[in-house]
Amino acid sequence: MTDRALEGMKVLDLTHHLSGPYCTKLLADFGADVLKVEKPAGDHTRRAGPFLEDDIDPEKSLVFAYLNTNKQSITLNLKSDKGISMLTSLIEESDVLVENFAPRVMPSLGLDFETLQQINPRLILTSISNFGQTGPYRDYKAADIIEYAMGGLMYISGAYDREPLKHAFNQAQFKAGTDGASATLMAMYHQRLTGEGQHVDVSIQEAVATGLRDVVNNFTYTGAVRRRQPNHSGDLSRLRASSDGHLIPNPGIGAGLNWDVMVDFMGIPELGGDKFNTPSARLVNAEELGQILDNYFIKQNKYERFYAAHEKRFIFGVVQSPSEVMADPQFEARNFFVDIAHPSLGTLKYPGAPFEMSKTPWAARSPAPTLGQHNQEIIGKKLGHTREELAQMRADSII
Amino acid sequence: MQGPLAGVRIIEMGQLIAIPFSMKMLADMGAQVIRLESTGRLESYRSDSVYKNDISGEFWNKGANFYEQNRNKLGVTLDLSRPEGLGILKELIRVSDVFSENFTPRVIKNFGLEYEDIRKIKPDIIMVSSTGYGFYGPWANYGATGPATEGAAGLAYQTGYTDRDAPVMSEIPYTDYTSGEHTVFAVMAALMHRLSTGQGQFVDISQTQATSATIPEILMDYSANGRTGNRMGNQDTVMSPHGCYPCQGDDRWITIAVSNNQEWQTLCNVLRQGDWASNSRFEDDLSRWQNRDELDGLIGTVTHSWDAHELMTALQSAGVAAGVVMDSQDLLFDPHLVERNFYEVVSHHDSTGIPPLPYAGRPWKLSRTPAVKGMPAPLMGQHNSLILENMLGKTSEEVKALEESGIIGYGPTTPRPVQRPPMDEQIRQGRMQRFESDFEEQVKRTFPA
Repeated sequence: MTDRALEGMKVLDLTHHLSGPYCTKLLADFGADVLKVEKPAGDHTRRAGPFLEDDIDPEKSLVFAYLNTNKQSITLNLKSDKGISMLTSLIEESDVLVENFAPRVMPSLGLDFETLQQINPRLILTSISNFGQTGPYRDYKAADIIEYAMGGLMYISGAYDREPLKHAFNQAQFKAGTDGASATLMAMYHQRLTGEGQHVDVSIQEAVATGLRDVVNNFTYTGAVRRRQPNHSGDLSRLRASSDGHLIPNPGIGAGLNWDVMVDFMGIPELGGDKFNTPSARLVNAEELGQILDNYFIKQNKYERFYAAHEKRFIFGVVQSPSEVMADPQFEARNFFVDIAHPSLGTLKYPGAPFEMSKTPWAARSPAPTLGQHNQEIIGKKLGHTREELAQMRADSII
Repeated sequence: MQGPLAGVRIIEMGQLIAIPFSMKMLADMGAQVIRLESTGRLESYRSDSVYKNDISGEFWNKGANFYEQNRNKLGVTLDLSRPEGLGILKELIRVSDVFSENFTPRVIKNFGLEYEDIRKIKPDIIMVSSTGYGFYGPWANYGATGPATEGAAGLAYQTGYTDRDAPVMSEIPYTDYTSGEHTVFAVMAALMHRLSTGQGQFVDISQTQATSATIPEILMDYSANGRTGNRMGNQDTVMSPHGCYPCQGDDRWITIAVSNNQEWQTLCNVLRQGDWASNSRFEDDLSRWQNRDELDGLIGTVTHSWDAHELMTALQSAGVAAGVVMDSQDLLFDPHLVERNFYEVVSHHDSTGIPPLPYAGRPWKLSRTPAVKGMPAPLMGQHNSLILENMLGKTSEEVKALEESGIIGYGPTTPRPVQRPPMDEQIRQGRMQRFESDFEEQVKRTFPA
């Protein structure tokens, strides 16, 4: 019995940057065989920081190392006939081809979906792109910030009195990568039952626009356009500064809050009495309440309050710095960070399983491949090319 | 259209977003999702943000968030605190493929619904639990909100304005969606495994963990280099200009991201700023990045007189990445999303008084097995007899008896509507930007039923 959920699933990975590689990483980490096809110069994420000790070496990009665990790498120049013909041989025996080029690229390489179907009718083509394969923005350029803005998340994020603000780094790309992996498996499920392949079109803009509670519905239900929220200092769910960082002292959701227990927990007598003990009283005296809470929490230790609150079942949260995340006792108990040994990076701790599966666990079977690490094995042995032919292909910039 | 997941049956004991959102995605693709509800403990999304802010009548069948998260599901009410109710849940699990829930482990243990319990009822069941911090471990029973796990995961720490101390949290339960996206993938992986081996298993989703998996830029840099970054604002680690700039009108903005010299020259050209183009302080990627604060200030003074949509079109036609910061009205009527049929018009039950309305669809399109046609979220208890009689073989007398003893029901036992303030008050408080009084006509025009 296998302990790999996606055992036997063969994925040809033409992706680069972040969204596509995260999609194929999820597939690889849960057991699919993923063959990464890089252009001879390599996925440009190899040249993106941060690097180990700031050493700008294509084998030392930390994000590349994270995104490409459990994959094999070959290089192929897809602008050469030879490169395309070798790719075609690989397509014949794959279940899935994942790509995240601009939508015009695959057809320009002669790899439109219809052609791929003729090569292999079982093949699933998963295409992840900024705005999808159709529509007026199809060829628009984007970066994570553009997707945030055009997916509707940016307008409601940030401070009321300031410019809209995006999350740090590349959340839109990771959303689309996850969605791409899910949709690929839906198509695989159908393929396993019927033998039919299909084209899966994933849009990063839509990945963002799918996860916006209330935004569009506020408009369709009431005509209201929601915006970034003002800093209502009395809001109990607001972030507050502590002596050592920030915490989210949210006492509870909805009407279940027992104010007296809360007042007792914080030990602030001024909060007692009628002034703050109902939601409407707290609204009327919000400014004063906010002041009292700010003055209280700034003197507190965030973890001390976090643990004490959970004893009372208040759902407090803490903002953790990267060092605190890595020392988090919950993550430690769940072995979230795992050691992975890599030839150029040495052994480092990586974020591990995004979730746990009891019978088919997440596993780091191999580190990210070096560029073209599996050329010999795949192009040589599998596709039947001699060492001399490989040397010639290298000289001709095909691999 | 059946969808690729036709034949998969899922029991959902979900609340709010994390599990309901992910099960909706699976329901859209053809899985039969049966959602359990309690009449005693009303899900808050049922009664909040109701249609036209009108809490009269069966307000619990009018909540926007409930309709958004529960499309294409069947609904059954069950009082799980009574043995008969719990017994019916177990009968349902026995004829299902997946059992999903997002309560704290304490609640699930109290009900006797852990994986080890339910696999005795259905050996190949796939059980999915989604919790703030994971089903085991010292924080397992800690309740969590979206902001709490956004903070715990390490995502919030670097999100914020460069000149302000506090991190900025999402105004939606952001990690519910991040973990929900991973939950869809996890269920699919478990279904694939079951297809080839016949085995079920337990899937343990930690909303924090799934979110931490999406920030390698932060966690790998700390792990390898011991480095912790500052709040990033809208800046990038290499690109400049890269930011959000004011445009003409009230609270209108555009985002621009420039990744090389050619795009920079094009940007200067479109904005008609020859001086910038020849300024040595901005001549290459590195100098623009080093002088990014100055550059961002300059750009804002020029974009200010542009209409955001016109500037986006002008820049994109010339080959520069630019995007309007879309508000909800832009997003709903965005010609691109409309042409791609991203929104799906769903007709509601006549009793609700809600006309057919568009809802966000999915971020994927499957060419051969598209999504099923959208059915609205269930009225409370709408499918009680369908499920109890047709699926579990109970007689109509038995169902009636269950109703009389309050095991099942059709409305909350203690109705408590949430009346939001009138729209002008919400605008005064700054919670809404504006109100469009002709919104019904606008919606109907673009999305005819």
